[in-house]
Amino acid sequence: MKKFLTYFSLTVFLIIGCYTALEMAKLAPTFDGQKINVVELYNNPKNYDYNDADGVANLMVKQTIDKTHAINAVTAIVFDFRGYDTLGESFVLFTAISGTVVILRNAMKGRAD
Amino acid sequence: MSNKNIKVKDYIIKSAADFFTPIGLVLGLYIILHGHLSPGGGFQGGVIVASAVVLIYLGYGFEVSTKTFKPNVLKKSEAIGALMYTFFALLGIFYAANFCRNVFFNVGNPGDLFSSGTIFLMNAAVGYKVLTGVGFLILLMFGLLANKEE
Repeated sequence: MKKFLTYFSLTVFLIIGCYTALEMAKLAPTFDGQKINVVELYNNPKNYDYNDADGVANLMVKQTIDKTHAINAVTAIVFDFRGYDTLGESFVLFTAISGTVVILRNAMKGRAD
Repeated sequence: MSNKNIKVKDYIIKSAADFFTPIGLVLGLYIILHGHLSPGGGFQGGVIVASAVVLIYLGYGFEVSTKTFKPNVLKKSEAIGALMYTFFALLGIFYAANFCRNVFFNVGNPGDLFSSGTIFLMNAAVGYKVLTGVGFLILLMFGLLANKEE
């Protein structure tokens, strides 16, 4: 029963993942680099006109305060645009501390808590 | 009680700990609360607050530091912080948008303390989680150090 549930949930994840990948492949690309002249950007980066750049990076740089009302742009990116990433980061810390507790539990038995 | 390599309960270290513990606590909480206005954020401020555990251990020894910061409470508070972050991320789904969406960002002007919606709340949740987690980790390792002495 346990083995069946494991394989069933893994199959469901695989099917949903394949469906999402196929659906996302149909969407328009967020950054295709069509509007960037690479040679000119390489030759004189200070005089390059950034106003017609496309993609998510342009939006993050220019519209941070309009979209999030946070002055610190790094916090706006970490906690808003990249919320999943911070969720994973904090759970990495949680897992590390849980592992430390499991390893050191025998060593400090009868002490501390 | 006192380890051979680390000198605790010394008079000079005790007065230095008395002086620096309130400064560290206030600075860490300031950095956590002003994460969306000034450089810093939840992770950095939480680690600064957790340094108070080290200072109290150096000044007063292991037993006082476990009396001040109870390990059971810290261990549960970390899980509460993780759940708080997930709840604030789920607020986007309750408001009929996607996960991690900043739903009420336009409350307050940019530059206020209570502005930027869920960024402020998520920052506080991550700060709470990091300060309890790192504090518990430090306390665990000091407990091991004090245990080896006996």
